[in-house]
Amino acid sequence: MTQSPIPPPPAEEPGKVLDGAAAVTEAAGEVHTARTLEDTQGPTENEILRVENLSVEFPTDDGVVRAVRNVSYSLREREVLSIVGESGSGKSVSSMALLGLLPRSARVSGKVLYRGQDLLAMRQKELRSVRGRKISMIFQDPMTALNPVHSVGDQLAEAVLAHELVPPKHALERAREMLDLVGIPQAAQRLRSYPHEFSGGMRQRVMIAMAIINNPDVIIADEPTTALDVTVQAQILEKLLEVKDAVNSAILLITHDLGVVAGLAHRVLVMYAGRPVEVGTTDDVFYRTRMPYTAGLLGSIPSMTSAYGERLRPIQGTPPSLINMPTGCPFSPRCPLADDTCRSSEPPLAPTDGAEGPDTAGPDAGGVPVAAHLASCHHWERLAETDDPTAFFRNGGITP
Amino acid sequence: MSTPENTPSGATGPDPDSGASNEAQGMNIAARTQWQLVRARFFRHRAALVGMFLLISVVLLAFTSIGYGPLPGWWDKSPTATGSLSDGGNPTLSLVPQFLGGSGLALGEHPFGQDNVGKDYFALTMKGTQVSLIVAFVVGIVATVVGTVLGACAGYFRGWTESVLMRVTDVLIAIPLLAIAAAAAKIAGQAGIFYLGMVLGLVTWTQTARLVRSSVLSLREKEFVEAARSVGTSSARIIFKHILPNTVGVIIVSVTLAIAAAVLLESALSFLGMGVQPPDTSLGRLITDYRSAMSTRPWLFYWPGLFIILIALSVNFIGDGLRDAFDPRQNRVRD
Amino acid sequence: MLVFIARRLVVSLFVLFAASFVMFVLAANVGDPLADLRELPDDAQASAIAERVERMHLDLPVYARYFLWLGAAFTGDLGTNRQGQDVNVLLADAISATMQLVVAATVLAIVIGIAIGIISALRQYSGFDHSVTFGAFVAFSLPIFWVGVLLKQYGAIEFNNWLAQPVIPPLVIGVVALLAGLAWSSLIVGDRRTRLIAFTGATAVTAALLAFTSLTRWFADPGLGPVTVAISALGAAFGFSVLISGPKPNRPMYAALTAAAVGTVMYFVLSPVLDAPNLATIAGLAVTTVAVCVAIGYGVGGVLHRRNAIATAVWTGVFTGGVIFVDRMLQSFVSYSRSVQGRPISTVGARTPNYEGTFWELTLDSAGHLALPTMALILVSLATYTRYSRASMLEVMNLDYVRTARAKGLPERTVMTRHAFRNGLIPITTLAAYDFGTVIGGAVVTETVFGWRAMGHLLITGLNEADPIPVMAFFVVASGAIVIFNMIADITYAYLDPRIRLS
Repeated sequence: MTQSPIPPPPAEEPGKVLDGAAAVTEAAGEVHTARTLEDTQGPTENEILRVENLSVEFPTDDGVVRAVRNVSYSLREREVLSIVGESGSGKSVSSMALLGLLPRSARVSGKVLYRGQDLLAMRQKELRSVRGRKISMIFQDPMTALNPVHSVGDQLAEAVLAHELVPPKHALERAREMLDLVGIPQAAQRLRSYPHEFSGGMRQRVMIAMAIINNPDVIIADEPTTALDVTVQAQILEKLLEVKDAVNSAILLITHDLGVVAGLAHRVLVMYAGRPVEVGTTDDVFYRTRMPYTAGLLGSIPSMTSAYGERLRPIQGTPPSLINMPTGCPFSPRCPLADDTCRSSEPPLAPTDGAEGPDTAGPDAGGVPVAAHLASCHHWERLAETDDPTAFFRNGGITP
Repeated sequence: MSTPENTPSGATGPDPDSGASNEAQGMNIAARTQWQLVRARFFRHRAALVGMFLLISVVLLAFTSIGYGPLPGWWDKSPTATGSLSDGGNPTLSLVPQFLGGSGLALGEHPFGQDNVGKDYFALTMKGTQVSLIVAFVVGIVATVVGTVLGACAGYFRGWTESVLMRVTDVLIAIPLLAIAAAAAKIAGQAGIFYLGMVLGLVTWTQTARLVRSSVLSLREKEFVEAARSVGTSSARIIFKHILPNTVGVIIVSVTLAIAAAVLLESALSFLGMGVQPPDTSLGRLITDYRSAMSTRPWLFYWPGLFIILIALSVNFIGDGLRDAFDPRQNRVRD
Repeated sequence: MLVFIARRLVVSLFVLFAASFVMFVLAANVGDPLADLRELPDDAQASAIAERVERMHLDLPVYARYFLWLGAAFTGDLGTNRQGQDVNVLLADAISATMQLVVAATVLAIVIGIAIGIISALRQYSGFDHSVTFGAFVAFSLPIFWVGVLLKQYGAIEFNNWLAQPVIPPLVIGVVALLAGLAWSSLIVGDRRTRLIAFTGATAVTAALLAFTSLTRWFADPGLGPVTVAISALGAAFGFSVLISGPKPNRPMYAALTAAAVGTVMYFVLSPVLDAPNLATIAGLAVTTVAVCVAIGYGVGGVLHRRNAIATAVWTGVFTGGVIFVDRMLQSFVSYSRSVQGRPISTVGARTPNYEGTFWELTLDSAGHLALPTMALILVSLATYTRYSRASMLEVMNLDYVRTARAKGLPERTVMTRHAFRNGLIPITTLAAYDFGTVIGGAVVTETVFGWRAMGHLLITGLNEADPIPVMAFFVVASGAIVIFNMIADITYAYLDPRIRLS
């Protein structure tokens, strides 16, 4: 992975950014080549978002649901960090908590530092000036995320007018430019259309346009392709990388699909039962896996290179209830390596050996290297000993 | 029976290797059936419980006190016997304890007072309550059965069956409820309270039919219905075994709403002189009979009104509890 | 869209025909139309019966009588009742009486009900929300005729007695003030201190107001006066601009304040015009008010704020106009009250028989007669709107696009008004349209309790006399209203929801 530290470009005029982006669109129109992360600008050393010990609880009739427990990570300018996990692992809840978008019943604790300011401690009014302008969001289901009774142009312009006092006409013009940028044909006419007149993929493009219309520093993309057709998924992800360069923002990509992560993210954070269980650069996590759960996830992906007749190796069982959390490692009931230690104590998220790459040396503010490879497992050494950690899940996960 | 939304998370999935240890770690919450969940939610709904208690109390009070039909009750006065007025017919019921200056908790001779010819008003009110309850329950059941069957057929068969049934519903809805109910009640009222209840049920089923139809419309597209159809299950069996059990929430809630509405409809019709006919009496009839006594004997006016409110309110609360129990949207947590 | 409406119209017509047949058959079979004549002495009986059989066509089978009626009804002739009175004439009077009663009640119920429902949803699980929910359940369970009789006793008889000596007992002042305090404190969001301040403030202000009205015997001669008018106009200006454009001073707020100031000045300028107006004057003034306020909003708003400025100015202007109207009406209260022997709240009928007076006195007379039945009707339908709008709002507030709106950084006020209300109110609009259709049929009981000779009277005498003709007159209007308003409900829904409008 090429990670040449490039100084952050000076703040550009919106118009200038658009020119650049238009050029990109044109280029993409001529020869359609799959864009990968290597084609985009890499992250800088500057930390832009830092999450410390974020926890979220929901009181329900059946008990307190501990949806997110002690999540910490940091995000640098222009970096793509992917949070991966099964449904119910707390990845969406944790991202929603960043901008205070959870229902009022949620109890959120910890710190979310955007350029040093704690978003969770902010007053509504200050938080509002961050939402949509500094940190924007793309939601999972484009079918329901747009208001059916307002035109797309109005909804886009509204995002501009929420933060800037400009005549509505100018905001609409900006909306048109954004629709152009995300590749919606005849943008000027489409401004007057209503969401139901767009296909799912087009609506998600509209959502992306809405997310970048104020040149944010961070885009949180919450499973942006889950609700879409497979053929459209790739286009949307590519578009996401394209606009990332156009507006110079970092991306927090939440997904349950490791395949999506591979070509898109600089770093990966794997979540299980509400907490991170493995963090590292994408290569480290994929090729030097140090947590059996990640290995299990990787084993569940069909591969083009696997031998004919070879079976997938899915993880047995289901994630634990978030209400009555078991005492030990939450993955232990499903883990082929689990022993009594695992069932009695939950392993901390600690550095492992499996780290390579230039960033390992550069410590971040907290003293832990940004690209260190952390895992939450008592037995990570046993994974380090083998070439193919997914093999542990062979034969239905029965330990050899 | 259990739809996906109703399955508690964390309680599913075969896990042959670690079943025993899971239980020890609290990994498995005992799987609860939908009925158990519904019951648990209902019993958490305080207002519904109070409503349940009140309704059962009113039913027991009304039917045990003066008895029903040939069965004798514990109250020694009859709703029809006239007598001499004691204390101008004022109620003798006392609820203020002695240490607060009242005369203690006591029923006295005529707890609800007497009317102008000395009839015991407690017995009369109980008689009216019996009749109002019977009519309301008959209306509720008839309306629900008719509405459910017609709604389910309209929703399931589509095509001309649906068109015909929906046009019939439209016709009924186009006539003001009070007008058709008054006319029907005037025709059936003479024949007794059961006929009255049935006839009112036959003109008030439209709401239930609409609710059931829309619920069936969405259910008939579900995979399990497709599956049943693909193996050649008969339509009747699909409707009664696969679709209706899944609309049970809608149906039960609409029973309670129908009953609450029926209490008020019957009393309004009786008030207009079109519902229950003498010698029968009902709570609404009592109010209209003693309406002019408002300024001289207000208790003749208050008691039946209070009982109407008591019945309607408790049924409404029960309905609310049931709705929450069957459709627990408020404790949905999304990832 | 036009095809859609045309198809609905045709279907509705057929439905109406079928319904009218059902109604006619039922109404013709409710009893023996000759029952009263059979008790006449024998010599008079035969001829009387013959005459009535002739008039009601009782020698024909029911369906034939139906087609006779239908044929005549097409020409606009609704027939004669069994006494030989022209039902068209009876109907015209009945409609106007019923309309007076139900229009105001329904509009008020809708506005108040939706407002309470929305506030209740925004403050879910607060003390206010719980009280509203409980109150709605009680209202659902109230027999309207029972409430009507209670209102007559306490709202009219006792209240009129009290007006002779309008002193509020200190206990009542205390209880009402405490309740007001509780209501306000449960509406305020904030920590315990802010709520305590709200509670004390609201309690004190309410107590002071009540004590003041009691001491000055305000109710004996109620009036607002220029100071109150000016204060309410200013309050409305601030209120509407906070609601529409936020609490900061900006152009919409200036527009509203301008409108309030103009309104207050007009209170003096228009004084001579308002001394003896008629309905046309009032209507003209209302239209002028709106026009002037639009102009104010347009001028003051500038390019950036034009829409909001026009909205705040118009709302403020209309509100101020309303306050001025009430003030002028109350100025005639003493003379009106004297002319009805000090009993301004009436229990029977639509107006005082043979009453003559100025425009304001006649208005007061109508108001005094409308007050109680309107209250009864509102009480019963208010609950539906409250529950419905609360549920609808709560549902919409949890939808994804509301979260999107929040994530854009829109202020909570805009999220609620532009995204939640706009969508949540679509089903309520259709409910309201539908409800308007059913009120004519639904007001029968209320009309009976309060002795209005209106639509309900036609239905009830028709049924009691087994005479289908007046019943069918009731049916034509009431069912026509149901069918037409059902159609309006569908069309509004389609209009408000672009998913349907554009497909």
